[in-house]
Amino acid sequence: MSFALLYFLFLKASLSSFNGLAALPIIRQDLVVTHHVLTDRQLNTALVIGRTTPGPIGLYMVSAGYYAAGARGATAAALALTTPAVLVIPLLVFAARRASHPRVQQVLQAVLLASAGITLAVTLPLGADALHSPLTWALAAGSLAALAFTKVDTIWVMLGASAISLVSAFFSMRRLG
Amino acid sequence: MKTTPRLGELGALFFRAGNFTPGGGTPATAILQRELISTRQWFDTEDFALCYALSRVTPGTNLLAFYTAIGWRLRGWRGAIVTLLAGAAPCCVLVGLITAGFERISRNVWVAAGIEGALAASVGLLLAGFWLLVRPFLTPRGWLRSVVVVAASVLLTRYGGLSPVSVLLLAALTGFIGSAQKEGKRE
Repeated sequence: MSFALLYFLFLKASLSSFNGLAALPIIRQDLVVTHHVLTDRQLNTALVIGRTTPGPIGLYMVSAGYYAAGARGATAAALALTTPAVLVIPLLVFAARRASHPRVQQVLQAVLLASAGITLAVTLPLGADALHSPLTWALAAGSLAALAFTKVDTIWVMLGASAISLVSAFFSMRRLG
Repeated sequence: MKTTPRLGELGALFFRAGNFTPGGGTPATAILQRELISTRQWFDTEDFALCYALSRVTPGTNLLAFYTAIGWRLRGWRGAIVTLLAGAAPCCVLVGLITAGFERISRNVWVAAGIEGALAASVGLLLAGFWLLVRPFLTPRGWLRSVVVVAASVLLTRYGGLSPVSVLLLAALTGFIGSAQKEGKRE
């Protein structure tokens, strides 16, 4: 499959959705069912990789691209993933001129509060999945305190939590012999 | 007071927020919110809300549109290119490399332990992001409205089956109607 066709197929999937996972059915239809360059198992593995690596969830497309056509496929998918992002600029140009109007301010305030609610709603299932031991609860609570009430850099909090988890795993293994 | 960042500073922040944050777009957004508004003061809350809302209604991956919007607001086209590339390119390369060696990496207990700690910290990060977003609106006159909007958004997203875009559109509509009523009363 050519680079251009792969790019076009990933771009079509990306443009047809408003979040990474919504593009999944289109990618499956094009790459698994129609062109047979990807298997369902590979697509599932790509999803796991996309969910467990840093960055947006839509990164599974890069992994799917790699399974479909190696580094060339991954590059085509990465380009298709990033291309639609520039569409936000004309939207900003239009909206920014009206941003200081009191009515727009009210709308933005409501949107901001709703986005906080969405963040909390997303946190609940993630917390249920990630917090399964006293240590993980303590790491979450410590991170919350450090990030909400101090100016410590976020990256140090993430790295610190990983390091504590590693040390804990080390001692658990030693105990088990 | 807002300050304007250099392109290098902007790239460094998006490189870190975009490529070292597990858990998808929400934790990365929470990091950027904290860094851009509270820590570095490059952005105010209203500008941040504008970029966030518009990136949610842009087709494609919302987080990448969000990076582009922030970069463009701060430093124009060059800023948009820097934030998009710094936030997205390294993790795309990383995913490609991980895919190539996935079977071997996932069996490593040390990698798994490190990921576990980072995932727990990302829950704290999300809650901190939530608190920092809501705190400015918990004023004596506005706290009840804020609590109602947040609670309704949680319920509609978590139990109502609505997509985030639909919830944001509903919130925008509520804000619009509320402001129209206020203007009507004044007249």
